[in-house]
Amino acid sequence: MNIELNRDYDFIDDLDTKLTNDETLSSWELFRMSYQSSVATMTKEFKGLTAPNHLPHMTFLEHQLECAQQVVEEMNGRGLLADEVGLGKTIEAGLILKEYMIRGLVKKALILVPASLVNQWVNELNQKFYIPAFSQRKRPVWDQDAVVVTSMDTAKRPQHKDIILDQEYDFVLIDEAHKLKNHKTKNYEFVRQLKKKYCLLLTATPVQNKLSDIFNLVSILKPGYLGNYEAFTKQFGRDRKNLFNDAHLKQLIQKVMVRNRREDTGIDWTKRNVETVWIDFSEDEQNAYNELSRISKESSNFSSITYTRELCSSREACYLSLKKMLSQDKYISNRSDYENFLSTIEQLPHHAKADKVIELIQHTDEKFIIFTEYRATQFYLQWYLQQHNISSVPFRGGFKRGKKDWMRQLFQNKAQVLIATEAGGEGINLQFCNNMINYDLPWNPMRLEQRIGRIHRFGQEHDVNIYNFAIKNTMEEHVLNLLYEKIQLFERVVGNLDAILADLEIGDIEKEVQTIFQESSTDGEAKIKLENLSSVISYAQHNYNEEDLDDTRESS
Amino acid sequence: MTLVNLHDFLNDYFTSNHCEILENNNGKLHIQLTDKMDELLMNRPFYWQYVKKLGYPGEPMKISFITNPNRREEEGEWIHFGSPRLHQIFRALQTQGKFTKLYEHVQSGQRTALVPWLVTNLKISYSGKQKKDEIVSIGLQLINGAMNLNMMQDLDTISLKPKISDFSYTMTPIIRMKSGYQRILNYVEQELQNKDHIWAEESWNHLQSEKKLLEHFYQDTTEDEEYENRFEQELKDIESLYKPVIDISVINGGLFYLTQQTSNKLFLSR
Repeated sequence: MNIELNRDYDFIDDLDTKLTNDETLSSWELFRMSYQSSVATMTKEFKGLTAPNHLPHMTFLEHQLECAQQVVEEMNGRGLLADEVGLGKTIEAGLILKEYMIRGLVKKALILVPASLVNQWVNELNQKFYIPAFSQRKRPVWDQDAVVVTSMDTAKRPQHKDIILDQEYDFVLIDEAHKLKNHKTKNYEFVRQLKKKYCLLLTATPVQNKLSDIFNLVSILKPGYLGNYEAFTKQFGRDRKNLFNDAHLKQLIQKVMVRNRREDTGIDWTKRNVETVWIDFSEDEQNAYNELSRISKESSNFSSITYTRELCSSREACYLSLKKMLSQDKYISNRSDYENFLSTIEQLPHHAKADKVIELIQHTDEKFIIFTEYRATQFYLQWYLQQHNISSVPFRGGFKRGKKDWMRQLFQNKAQVLIATEAGGEGINLQFCNNMINYDLPWNPMRLEQRIGRIHRFGQEHDVNIYNFAIKNTMEEHVLNLLYEKIQLFERVVGNLDAILADLEIGDIEKEVQTIFQESSTDGEAKIKLENLSSVISYAQHNYNEEDLDDTRESS
Repeated sequence: MTLVNLHDFLNDYFTSNHCEILENNNGKLHIQLTDKMDELLMNRPFYWQYVKKLGYPGEPMKISFITNPNRREEEGEWIHFGSPRLHQIFRALQTQGKFTKLYEHVQSGQRTALVPWLVTNLKISYSGKQKKDEIVSIGLQLINGAMNLNMMQDLDTISLKPKISDFSYTMTPIIRMKSGYQRILNYVEQELQNKDHIWAEESWNHLQSEKKLLEHFYQDTTEDEEYENRFEQELKDIESLYKPVIDISVINGGLFYLTQQTSNKLFLSR
């Protein structure tokens, strides 16, 4: 056996130089504190997790801690994290990375995730784990010691690829790793070529079709662990079910893979009641809506679709946007129509949705969160609630951290209602409230899932009530019926929609929906297109669920 | 000597760096930074560059820390053992408190000789399959070569100043600093030799078995050059992952001048 021994010879030379040159040196107090801080940050034991002590703002679940410990202690940092969707693979991965960073074993890390999830990963690593991760920007920084999050497609581009392959990474993570199941693809080849010490692969579906999927994934982590390809297929066959039926294989795999199921976690998820609240516009409002739709159809203005959408939220939101558009000094074909319409808005009564909010909240003391897409609506609602003696606080993604916390606290202790414009408050926990009104629906169901996730999470003690507002005979009716109902977003406890959208390479579903409304000349056309979009999603979803069912059956 | 109370630690840190403490009450600290500390901690190089270029006086920020978890909802940065701000300060301390030269404070009006000591605080890191650290604090008397293995603790009871007291004078070292340092390293290495390193043995054996797996995996594909390269690379990867290594690094250290009386005591307490 050979133990390498490295000594620090720079120190004494540096000290000598400083003394000779009579440089300013440390006071006893700072010298002592420097020593103290090193004692405080040293890694005292080979085993165990130190990361949770560094993250007192986080509540980790038992299975997440166990997973992290298992990967660090038994798998030596090379593992396949294959929990079912929604059990927090990201959290487990974050814990593991944090542990290695605290122990000084990881400085340079590469996190490869689907393009649509890059920012989410960056935020979670920063906010939940204080890991200074950033996404690769225009000026690439591949050669620095840093935690970089990027997409496989970016990493593979010719101008980046060779530089990345030259780097020696302490830690490589690949999210949605089931895409690497085929060893003949460029992606697979790329990942195999990365120089890496620790490596985590994340997927909810470790075997999608063939048993060789798992062979290929494990060969990234531990080449040779499952023998070579021929020997593997000869011994275990090709049927994916053997992963769970063959006792020997199962035992082998358990040493490189962690898979938790929802029912194993012992978490008692509370129920989610989702109710669609249909609202009728008053006659005046409906006429105004129809009128605006007509004007917008005639206009070639790109954002005309926005105005009708805004009118479904509040007079104020629509009025401000129109005013802004008209104040711009440029040619608008039906300027006079829009101008006349402004005075129509001025005549409108209070918004039908706002009245519905009052009706819901007025006779209860329970707390409510109201989400709207528009700031103008947020102001209006705050004022309107105040008129009815209902106390509320505003909340915006753009608030500074301190202000967010302050608003949260006001809401918890003083106000009945929190009116938010964005789910952006990642890391802000509102599980003391169990009622939510989605005053207007985002066109990206993921954002709705995030909103609901603010209150329907671990720590929520009550069943959660979600009220989705939609106005009949408007575009809201289409979005709700065709997009939301069809993909059954509401029924599921935790969504796997992000993975599905990434798989389908739908980067921005909001934009898709906007384009559909924009480019359809009739209501019917928009309906059909929306229906197509949701069919594709629900088909992919169906396949995912099948996987889950299969797994459960095989392992029991 | 361990860091138990973060609040006091922060208070001491900013006081030692000449910052005014505006409020210190029930787990909350409000601090007026100096220019220097603002530059060090607040991460706004452009502001300071701009101010200096124009020759304006800079306006250093005030900063609030909450160390009482019950008050964490209030305005201010909540500081706990994992908070990035604390680790930023720890990092700053690695440089700020790395090298020193200090004299024992002497009150008497008589001429007093001060004995030179080389003090080093060493971190010994063991890494293989897993990793852990040890910290040792060693002082070496540079006249007679006496060693103290509990140096920081023992120094903590003495009053130490950056300037020599009136009527004190320093004795010239007989052992040069560099060879003193080598003596300390030799001592540490000797101690390491005498230890059982089960962790290293485990790591070594693990490395060998991983190598075998890898060779087996590639045995039929050696004729292909690309595969050969990949084999070499993966061999390197697992070596860097499991190879047992011991690193000896210096946290901080310096030259201390202590009275004969103190020096004797330090020797005895060994």
